[in-house]
Amino acid sequence: MNLITIAMFAAILLISLGITAWAARRTRTTVDFYAAGKGLTAAQNGFALAGDWCSAAAFLGFTGLTALYGMDGALYAVGPLVAFCTVLLLIAEPLRNTGTYTIGDVIMYRMRQPPALAAAIVGTIVINLAYLIPQMAGGGILIKLLFGIRYDVSVILVGCGMIIYVAAGGMLATSWVQIIKAVLMLGAGAIILLLALAGVGFDPLVLFASAEATAGPNFLLPGNLLKNPFDEVSLGLGYMLGLAGLPHVMTRFYTVPDAVTARRSVIWVMFLAGAFFAGTTIFGLAAVHYLGPEALRVGNPGGNLTLPLLAQYLGGGKDTVGGQLMLGFVSAVAVATILAVVAGLTLATSGAVANDLYVNLLRKGKVEERQQVLVARITAVLVGIVATLLGIMAEGVNVAVLVILAICIAASANFPVIVLSLFWRRFNTGGVVGGMALGLVSSVGLALIGPAYLGPNAIWPLVNPTVVALPLGILGAVFGSLLAGRDHEHEKRFGEVTFRIQTGLRSNQT
Amino acid sequence: MADIAKVSGAQVAAGAWIDGVQSAEFKTLIDTKRRSIVPMIVTYVVGYIGLSILAGFGRGILGTKVLGSVNLGFVLIAGNYVMSWVLAIVYARISTNRHDPLLKVVVDKARAAGGP
Repeated sequence: MNLITIAMFAAILLISLGITAWAARRTRTTVDFYAAGKGLTAAQNGFALAGDWCSAAAFLGFTGLTALYGMDGALYAVGPLVAFCTVLLLIAEPLRNTGTYTIGDVIMYRMRQPPALAAAIVGTIVINLAYLIPQMAGGGILIKLLFGIRYDVSVILVGCGMIIYVAAGGMLATSWVQIIKAVLMLGAGAIILLLALAGVGFDPLVLFASAEATAGPNFLLPGNLLKNPFDEVSLGLGYMLGLAGLPHVMTRFYTVPDAVTARRSVIWVMFLAGAFFAGTTIFGLAAVHYLGPEALRVGNPGGNLTLPLLAQYLGGGKDTVGGQLMLGFVSAVAVATILAVVAGLTLATSGAVANDLYVNLLRKGKVEERQQVLVARITAVLVGIVATLLGIMAEGVNVAVLVILAICIAASANFPVIVLSLFWRRFNTGGVVGGMALGLVSSVGLALIGPAYLGPNAIWPLVNPTVVALPLGILGAVFGSLLAGRDHEHEKRFGEVTFRIQTGLRSNQT
Repeated sequence: MADIAKVSGAQVAAGAWIDGVQSAEFKTLIDTKRRSIVPMIVTYVVGYIGLSILAGFGRGILGTKVLGSVNLGFVLIAGNYVMSWVLAIVYARISTNRHDPLLKVVVDKARAAGGP
C-alpha cells in the first residue's frame, strides 16, 4: 500500500462526506429522503444509474472473468446493457407514472390489498439483502487486499460509510455519491482503454490473437466458466429480466420530475454503462496479453484484482510513480464503487421497511411527514447495521451464490409481478402472492441445492436456476390470479390504472 | 374533483377527466405505442436470448473464425451492443416525435375536463 492510494482514497472519502453534509441540510421531507426531491435531471440520473449498474462485481468482476474465462466474461458483460432495453421499453416510464418512492407503492396502487403489499415487501427485502451481503463481503475482501486491513474491520468501515451517506443525506447524497463515482469510474476506464490499445497500435485484433495464443485455443469459446449449457440460457434470462426487477435500480426513476426525464435518463445510462461494459471485455483480453494468463491466476481470487494489476502495469509497472498512481486511482474508485452501491441498496431496503411496511402496511398511511422521515433515517441505520453484521458473518462463505440468487429472484418473482401489475387487467392480489411465493421459493430452493452452494455434491445441476424459476414465477402469478376469482370492480379500475400508467395523471388521494 | 381513492368497493365515481381512458385519442396513443414497442421487444429478445442459447448449445457455431482470432461469438456480442444502442436511439426518436404529441392531446383533454 502506498501513499498515493491512501491520498486518493482520502480525497474521495472527504468529497463524499462533504456531499453528504450538503445533502443532509436539504433533506427534510420524505420526497427528499427517498427521491431526492424528484429534482434530478436526465443526465444526473443517467450517471447515477450508471453508478448503480456498475457495481464492483461489474467493474472488477467482468474484467476478471474475461481474463480468466474468455468469452463467458464477455457474455456476462453484455447482458446488463441488454437488460436496459427491458427497462426502457417496459418499466421506466410506467413506474415513474405510478409509484412514489418504492416498488411496493406500485403494487399497492394497483391492488389496494395488504397481502399484495406484504408480498412486495418480502420480495424487495430478500432481493436487496441477497445483493447487499455479497457487496459487503466483496468490499471487505477488496479493502483487505488493497490496504491490508483485517476483513471484519474493513466490512465495518464500509458499513459506517454507507450508514452515514444514507441516514444523513438520503437519496440526494446517495445519488451524488453515485454520480461522482460514475464519472471517476468512466474516467479510469477511458484512461486504461487508451493505454491498453496504445500498446498494440490501436488494433484490438492483436489482443484477441494474443489471448488465443497464450491462453489456449478454447479460451475464446463459450463454456469455460458456465459448463452446463442451460446455465448460459439462465444467465441470459436472468439478466434480461432480473436487472429490471432490482428494487434499488427501479427506485432511481422516482428521482426525476416526469416520465420523459426517466426515459432520457435510461438513454444516458445505456451509452455510459454500455460503453464501460464493452470496455471490460477489452480490459480482460488486454490483461491476458500484457500480464500473461499465469500471472493472473496467482493471488487473484475470482479475477477481481485483474483490473488493478492491469492499471498498474499500464501505468509503468510496480515500482514506478505512474504504476502506483494508476493502481491507487483504480483501487480508490473500486472502494468508492462499493460504498456507493451498498448505499443505494440500503436506501431501497429502508424504503421497503419504513415506507411500505411501517407507514403503509402497519399504520395505514397515518403517520406525520416529520415522523416518516425520522423513521426512514432510523431504519437506514438499522438496515446498515444488519447488513454489516451479515457481511462479517459471510467471510469465507461462497457469496457468489447470493448475487446469482438476487438476480434470479428479481427475474422470477419481482419482474413478473411488476409487469403483470402494470399491463394485465385480470392480475390481482392472489397473483401477486402466488407469483412472489413461487418465484421466491423456487429460486432460493434450487440455488441452495445447486453447485454454487453444495459444490460437487449438488443435487440440482444448474448454478443459476432462472431458466426454471422464471416460468414457475410466471405460472404462480397467472394461476394465483385465476384461482383468486374475478373481481369486476378491480378489473374495471384497470382503465384508470392504464390511464395513469400512460399519462402520469393522478388524483390527489392516490 | 372526485376522489378515486375510495372506490375500492362502490361504483367508480371518478371525475369526468378519467373518461379520457375511453377516448379515441387514448386508444390511438396505446395502439401507436404498441405498434412501435412490440417489434422492438421481439428484436432484442430474439437477438439476446438467441445469443445465450447459442452460447449454451451452439458452441461450435460461435467458434467459427470471422476475422483473425475473432470468432462469430464475439461478433454477435458486439452486435448485441450495437442492437441495444440502436434501439435506444430509435425509441427515443419515436417516443419524442410520435408518442409524446399524442400523449399531449390526451393530457390536455383530461385537464380541460377537470383532471389534475
